[in-house]
Amino acid sequence: MRSILHADLDAFYASVEILDNPSLRDKPVIVGGDPNARGVVSAASYEARKFGVHSAMPLRTARRLCQNGVFLPGRFSRYNELSRQVMALFASYTPLVEPISLDEAFLDVTASRAAFGDGEAIARRIKDRVLAEIGLVVSVGVATNKLCAKVASDLRKPDALVAVPPGGEAAFLAPLPVTRLWGVGPQARQALADYGVTTIGQLAALPEATLRRRFGIHGAELRLRAQGVDPSPVVPTHVPKSVGHEITFDHDVTDPARLEATLLDLAESVASRLRRHHLAAGGVQLKLRYEGFDTITRQAPLGHQARESEPMYELGVALLRRALAPDRAVRLIGLTAINLSEAQQLTLFDAPEQNDRITASIDAVRKRFGDAAITRARLIGHRDRRRPDFGMRPDAPSDEREP
Amino acid sequence: MNVSVMQENLARGLGIVSRAVSSRATLPVLANVLLKTDNNGLKLTATNLEIGINCWVPGKLEGEGEITVPAKLLTDLVASLPNQRIDLQLSTKDRTLKVTCGGSRSSIKGIDADEFPVVAAIGDAPATSVDSRALREALGEVVFAAATDESRPILTGVLTKLAGDRMTLAAADNYRIAVRNLTVTQPVGAETSIVVPGRSYAELMRILPDAEQQIDITITPNKSQVLFHVEGIDLVSRLIEGQFPNYEPVIPTAHSSRAVVDREAFLAGARRASIFARDSANIVKVEVAGDGSSEVSITAHAADVGDNSDVLEASVEGQATTIAFNARYLIDVLSNLGADEAALELSGPLAPGVIRGIGKDDYVHVIMPVRTAS
Repeated sequence: MRSILHADLDAFYASVEILDNPSLRDKPVIVGGDPNARGVVSAASYEARKFGVHSAMPLRTARRLCQNGVFLPGRFSRYNELSRQVMALFASYTPLVEPISLDEAFLDVTASRAAFGDGEAIARRIKDRVLAEIGLVVSVGVATNKLCAKVASDLRKPDALVAVPPGGEAAFLAPLPVTRLWGVGPQARQALADYGVTTIGQLAALPEATLRRRFGIHGAELRLRAQGVDPSPVVPTHVPKSVGHEITFDHDVTDPARLEATLLDLAESVASRLRRHHLAAGGVQLKLRYEGFDTITRQAPLGHQARESEPMYELGVALLRRALAPDRAVRLIGLTAINLSEAQQLTLFDAPEQNDRITASIDAVRKRFGDAAITRARLIGHRDRRRPDFGMRPDAPSDEREP
Repeated sequence: MNVSVMQENLARGLGIVSRAVSSRATLPVLANVLLKTDNNGLKLTATNLEIGINCWVPGKLEGEGEITVPAKLLTDLVASLPNQRIDLQLSTKDRTLKVTCGGSRSSIKGIDADEFPVVAAIGDAPATSVDSRALREALGEVVFAAATDESRPILTGVLTKLAGDRMTLAAADNYRIAVRNLTVTQPVGAETSIVVPGRSYAELMRILPDAEQQIDITITPNKSQVLFHVEGIDLVSRLIEGQFPNYEPVIPTAHSSRAVVDREAFLAGARRASIFARDSANIVKVEVAGDGSSEVSITAHAADVGDNSDVLEASVEGQATTIAFNARYLIDVLSNLGADEAALELSGPLAPGVIRGIGKDDYVHVIMPVRTAS
């Protein structure tokens, strides 16, 4: 029987702000930026959550709900630094640490029990040390698989330690709402409600044939999950499935030239992150959100694996020109590198060393002084506030959160 | 002007020139075809400013005149008519072309011929001549390798070098290169190099008759345009300015392993592998077993999809080598190579791979490999 931990730092960004500035303790802290501007909440302290503020909520809504909130822009290099410390601490208990994002990781401690005691004892030690040595509160779920560990850590936040006894997975999940399961979004929830199913236990009891009819091949998988079965392994080196950036404009944009310039900016950041991970993209996905919030995504393959900004930019522009509805104002634009692999197409004529030296220098400057420190001439005066993608799905983790 | 032509001939002529009609014309007149009487018959002309095509349609001419009319409209109309005599009558006064065929009468509003760009007739003596069929074959083995994206415009062209009785065609897109030599029928005085847009050559291939006919090649003295003339047809193309990369040093002169494979089988294997490679960046692995074995295998693996492997019979010399390629580049060369057997020459997993046709010394194709993690 495996012993899997899911460790999740409570209100991570907000907690870091409070850690570095104790006068913020017991105040509603909201990380995300200027509450009078566009953009969304990246993190809210538990004080702020009492007002109904939650992450991904528009900042203006947060301000309305929480007049006295302390709104902070976010210091991502600091979050990165603390995240690294926490992950290093996790790694002292097992080499099998799978980071999902800056503030979340799975740990497979099956082989560590002989040295440190059972899963729950390890979870206790980790919680104590993260608080004592770093000053942050982490919630931990302990179970025989990733699915139950994740649900458990989330169940009694903050400062939770929930252990699911081996063999008790199905019983543990049974009373919980179906939306706690991976892969059950609003649509699946609605579809299940048609069968009178609202809890995971009811879902587990549905005949497999019924689920197959309604959900196809995913039906069987869904039923297994509802029964608390999840064989997926903890994969220590976390290879991102996609790397993307998006920008929410302060004012809706209709000028295609402005959108294209923004794409160049996005392509540069995405390319820079690909290089940091030694990955290359096989395709590009463009995301557009119009005024009124309808969102479209379009994707296309690149001719070959690329880790430079130019081909991603060119394909992004081609997708934009095809997809952009005339006369519609764009609120958000995003570019994501997809079909990532470590493969790299070699070239005939470019001197790779020279190109690599230029991009390496650019990457080094950005790493040290931030993304805005070096840019193309055509982007000067055109840079917008941007966020890495927050499109996190537990079963397909996106890249870590960074500025 | 009154012109009588056979429907078949006019339809053929329109089919040829309409390849040069601009689909997204910035100038409205570029969507038109120019009809003009001259000594050789009815001359049809279309241009998109990159290429221009003239085609002469035999017929009975009375009087002189010229007009441009929408190419698509005229082409569709003529295609719908029976294969009978068509009478074209130009009324200059109201700029209208009357088209009569049997009981069908149409009139098409046109634009003045004055507004149509001049498609240069290059008067000088041709630089050289070459057999139409030979040129068509050679272009087929080269043009597909030219770049289609405009990030390096010079690579969208095909280097065309004339020296003595030899013509060398080379096209590359930075990941592969194709080089083909052929013999011209009329030796060239001074050595000349031009870069012809790949798209122009693609059109030329469609126009060239698959017959033993001479095609004359004329280059303007300032090297801005090239004219290909074959019986009844001119194709004029703009040339790409700039220096084509020096490709000779990147073509390997030695190899550490060599496999000779049936071209069709190799192509089929690459196609099958590419189906599986779609979700993994189109990467396929080619494994040449070492000396004494007689196998080449092509495999593709996609984490969430599955995998596929084709083992081909081959005659192999040298060391065992595994190399990864973008499947598209293999498929492109293998489907265009004019030989029954192909030789694959390798010098390690990160060195350029060479493909040649067996019994074919006039062609070499180089593909850069993909560096993979495993």
